[in-house]
Amino acid sequence: MKKWNFLLSALALAFVFFLPFCTSVYVLNVVGLILIQMTLALSWDLLLRSGQLSLGISGFFGLGVYTAALSCIHAKIHPLLGIFFGGLMGGLFALLIGVAVLHLRGMYFAIVTLALAEALRVIVRNVPTLSGGPEGMVLPSVIFHGDALKTYWLLLAWALLNIVISIFFEKSRIHFALTSIRNDEIVAESSGVDVFKYLVCIFVFSSSIQAVAGGMYAHIYGFISPESSFSFELVLLPIIMAVVGGVTTTWGPVVGAILLGSVAEILKVKIPYGHLLIYGIIIVIVVLFFPKGIMGTFKERMQTNK
Amino acid sequence: MVKLSEKLRQPNYRIAVVSIFVGALLAYWKPYVLIEGIQRAGLYAAIALPMALLMGVVGIVNLAHGDFMMLGAYFAYWVSVYGGVDPLLAIVPALAFFFLFGCIVYLGPFKRILQAPELNQILLAFGLMIVLVQSANLLWTSRFIKISLPYVSASTTVGSLTFGTFEFVYVVAAVTVLVGLQLFLKKTTWGQAALAVGQNPRGAKVVGIDVDRTHLIIFSVSIAIIGAMGALFLARHSISPFIGFPFTLRAFCLIAMAGIGNLTAILWVSLVLGLSENFVLSFFGYAGWADLIYFVLIITVIMIKSRQRQVK
Amino acid sequence: MKKLSIILVAVGISCFFLISHALAQPKPIKLGTAIPTSTVIGQEMEKAMRLAIKELNKAGGALGRPIELVVVDDEMKPEKGAAAIEKLATLDKVDIFIGGMASGVHMAQIPILRKYKPVTVWLGAASHKCEQALEGCDWYFHLHTWDYEQGAQQRLGWEDISKKQSGMKIEKNFFAYEEGGFGAASFEAIKSVWMGEYKIVGESFKSAQVGGGDYRTLLRHAKDWKPDAFHWIGYEADAMPIMEQAKEINFSPPVFVGAPPMWPPKFAKEPLANAVCFYTAWSHSLKAPASIRFLEAYTKEYGQPPINYVGPLSYSNVYIAVEGIKRAGTLEKEALISALEKTKYESPLGDVITFKPSKVIKHQGNISMKISQYQNGQEHILWPLNLATTQIMYPLPSWEKR
Repeated sequence: MKKWNFLLSALALAFVFFLPFCTSVYVLNVVGLILIQMTLALSWDLLLRSGQLSLGISGFFGLGVYTAALSCIHAKIHPLLGIFFGGLMGGLFALLIGVAVLHLRGMYFAIVTLALAEALRVIVRNVPTLSGGPEGMVLPSVIFHGDALKTYWLLLAWALLNIVISIFFEKSRIHFALTSIRNDEIVAESSGVDVFKYLVCIFVFSSSIQAVAGGMYAHIYGFISPESSFSFELVLLPIIMAVVGGVTTTWGPVVGAILLGSVAEILKVKIPYGHLLIYGIIIVIVVLFFPKGIMGTFKERMQTNK
Repeated sequence: MVKLSEKLRQPNYRIAVVSIFVGALLAYWKPYVLIEGIQRAGLYAAIALPMALLMGVVGIVNLAHGDFMMLGAYFAYWVSVYGGVDPLLAIVPALAFFFLFGCIVYLGPFKRILQAPELNQILLAFGLMIVLVQSANLLWTSRFIKISLPYVSASTTVGSLTFGTFEFVYVVAAVTVLVGLQLFLKKTTWGQAALAVGQNPRGAKVVGIDVDRTHLIIFSVSIAIIGAMGALFLARHSISPFIGFPFTLRAFCLIAMAGIGNLTAILWVSLVLGLSENFVLSFFGYAGWADLIYFVLIITVIMIKSRQRQVK
Repeated sequence: MKKLSIILVAVGISCFFLISHALAQPKPIKLGTAIPTSTVIGQEMEKAMRLAIKELNKAGGALGRPIELVVVDDEMKPEKGAAAIEKLATLDKVDIFIGGMASGVHMAQIPILRKYKPVTVWLGAASHKCEQALEGCDWYFHLHTWDYEQGAQQRLGWEDISKKQSGMKIEKNFFAYEEGGFGAASFEAIKSVWMGEYKIVGESFKSAQVGGGDYRTLLRHAKDWKPDAFHWIGYEADAMPIMEQAKEINFSPPVFVGAPPMWPPKFAKEPLANAVCFYTAWSHSLKAPASIRFLEAYTKEYGQPPINYVGPLSYSNVYIAVEGIKRAGTLEKEALISALEKTKYESPLGDVITFKPSKVIKHQGNISMKISQYQNGQEHILWPLNLATTQIMYPLPSWEKR
C-alpha cells in the first residue's frame, strides 16, 4: 500500500514538473489559475474543518491584491516581498476581525464574513487617490517580467506548500481539536479545548493564505480593480471546488480544483455557446450523486471494498 | 393600568417609539428619504419573505431565489407580449405556474439533498442558479428588456413634494404577503404543520405530520410567491438573465438580520435598510458609500443579536 | 485502492492533455480576437467580423491565402481576457490581433500584449487608463475614440449645436455616472476636458445592470441644481428607468443626454424617449454610401440590422487589418506596421479612418462620435454638421404631453 502511494505521488510530481516542457504557455496559464483557485479552496477547507463556513475569501484575497500591488508601487519593493506583506496584512486583518466575530456560528458567521468582504470592496472603490478607484490600476511591471515558466514554478511551489501544510495539519493536534469542535462544540469545550483560541488561529492562518494568493494574482496579471479583485466568484468557485472534491480532506479541494478547472476550460473551447449551462448541470449532478464529494465517495467505496 | 415606563422596558415598545420618532424626524427633515425608503423597503421585504419562509420551515438556503423571480419576470413579459395584456395580470397565472415549477424542482433535485450536509444544499442551489441563469441567457440573450407602462411613472404632488406612486405597490405586496403567510401558517392545517416542522422536524414526524409533503408545499409556495413577484418587478425594472443574484444576496442578508424564522421582523429590517440607504444617498457626493451602510448595518445587527443571545 | 488511484491520476493527466490537444490547430492568415461571446455585443462583433471576412475571402483573401477568424471568449473578466491573448499568441499563433471591447478586461491584456508585441488593431477600450499603459507600443493601433477624445468631441459638438439654436445654453452640466469602472473613468475624462469653461457637477449611481436602478435621489439633486443639460453615463438597463423616474419627480432639463454603450431595442418608439440625445459612432440614418452598403449586406446575411455601432466598427476593424496586410504584401512586422500607418479606410461609420498620434500612443483612429437625438420615433444625427440629418429638438418637451 505504502509503496503504491509513494509511486503515485512520485508520478504526479514528475508530471507537474515536466508539464511546462511539453505544453504551451496557454496551458500553463490555465493551470496557474487553477493552482491559485486550488489554494483558495484548500485554505477555505482548513477553516471549514473547525465547522466555520466563511464567505469572506474575496475580502482577504482582495486585501492581498491591493496590499501587494500598492506596496510595490509606492515603496518600490520586490514583488515577492509585496506578496509577503499582502499575506501579513491579511493575517492581521483576520486577527482583528476574528476576535470580534468568531463567537458567531453557522449562517451568521458566513453572512458577516460576506458583509465584511463586500464592505472592503466598497471602501477600496471609494478611495481613488489610494487605490485607483473603480477603474482600477495597471501595475508598472509584472512579476518575472511575464516569464511564464518562472510564474508557473512560483504557483506550483505555492500550491505544493499548501498541500503539504494541509497534510501535516491533518495529522496535527490542532486538527484533532478542530474536528472535535466541529463535531460537538460543547463537548470539546468541556474537554478543555480552548475553542475560541483555535478558531482564531485557524482563521488567521487560512486568511493569510488567501491574501498571499491575492498578492500573487496581482503581480502575475498586473491589473487590480475592486470588481475583479473582490469578485464574488472568488468565494463561489473555491467553495464549489472543495465541495465537489470532498470537504475536510486535503485531496478533495485539490481534485475538485483540477477537475472543475479543466472541465470549465475544455467546455469553453468546445461549446462556446452554452458551456456555462453544462457546467451548472455538472455541478448539480455531482452534488446529487456524490454527496461526499468525489474523493469522499472514493474513500467510502474503498472502505466498503475492504 | 400599566405605567408608560414599564411599557417602555419591553423591547417592542421601545422599538416602536424610536421608529415613530425617527419617522417624524425624517418626515420633517428629509421627506423623500422617508417616502422612497419605505417604497424600496417594500420591494426588499416582498422578495425576502418567501425565502425566509423556506429557510425557516425547510431550512434550505435557496441561492437560486432571485433567479426564480427573474424567470417570473420573463414569464410575465411573454404573457404580456403574446396575450397582449398588462403584465401585472400575469401574477395569478404566475402563481399557478411557479407553484407547479416549484413542485418539480423540489421533487427532482431538492428532496434528495435534504439528508445531505447543509453545504451540499447550498451548492445544489448554486448549481441550480447557474442552470436557470444560463438557460435564460441562451433562450433570451443577455439584452435587457423593459416594458413601458404609462402608470409606472405616475406621480402625485402633496404640498411641495412630488413623488412617484407606483412603487407603493411593493409595500402593498410585502404587507399582503406577510399577512397572507401569517394567516396561512396560523390558521390552516398545512400552515400549522409547517410551523411544527420548522421548529422541530423530528418531533413533527413523531406526531404524525407528513414532513415530506409539508416541505413540498412550502417549497412550492415560496417559489410561487417569488415567481409572481417577478411580474411586479418587471413593471418597474429592466430585466435580464442576471438580475436575480443581487436580490438573492440582499434577501439573504435581510433574513440573517431578522433572524431565521421571524417573518414580521423582515418588514422592520427592510425598513431600516431602505431608509438608511436613501438617507446616505441624500447626501450629495456620498452615493458611493450607500452600499457600505448596508453592510455595516448587517454586521451591527448580527453582532448585537449575538451578544443578546450570549447574555441570555 | 491501487486501481482507483491510478484511474484518478490518469483522469487528471488526460484532462491536461485534452486541453492541449483540443486546441492545437494551425491554418491560413489568422485574425485573432478576444471578445465576450456570451453577451449580445460580443455576438454582434463576431457576426460583423465574419461578414467582413466572408466578403474578403470571396474577393480572394489576402496574399493568395484565405482569411480565418479565431475567436476566444474573454468572459468579460480580466484574467480570462489575458489568458485569451496568451492562447491566441502562443497556441493559435495568430498573425494579427483585432477586436476587444471592455476597458477593464483590456487593462489585464496589455501586459501580455507588451510581452509578445504582436501587430494589433484594437477596436474597443475607451479608458484613458488603458492608453497610459500603452506607452511606447508602436505595434499597437487603436480604433475606438478615447474617453477624453469623446469628451472633447462632445464639447465641440454641443458648442456648435447651441450656436445654431437660439436660446440654448450649455453652461451648467450635471453628469450622472454609474459607479463602476466605465462610468467613473468616462466622467473623469469628461471633467478634465470640460472644466474651466463650464460648470460641471457629477454624482455616481448604482446601475440597474448590477442590481441598482433607483435614481430618484440623484435626479432630485440634479433638479435642485437646475442644469442646462443633464447627462447620464450608464448601461442599457438604465435607459428606461431613468426616464420614468425623471418623469415621476417632474424633472425636465432643457437637454437630456444619455450615454450608454447601447440602447434597448425599439427605444426610439417610446414616448418617453422623445428628444433624448445620445452619442453613437453609427446610426441607421447615416447617408454615407459605405454605411448603406454595410447595412444592406448585414441585414441580408443575418436577417436583422446591427444593434449599434459595434457591428460596423468590427467590420471596419477587419477591413483595416486585411487591407493593411494586402498593402504590405507580407506579414512581416515592420512592413505591416508602416502599411497600416497608411490606412485610409472609408468606413460604414461615415468617417474615413486614418491613424494619428493621440496623447500617448502613435496610432489612434479618428472615429467621430455623432451627437444624435430621438425625434418622434426616429434616430436623427445632430452633429457633426456635415452628417446632420436635422436640427435639435429643444427644449425637452414636458412630461405631461407624453
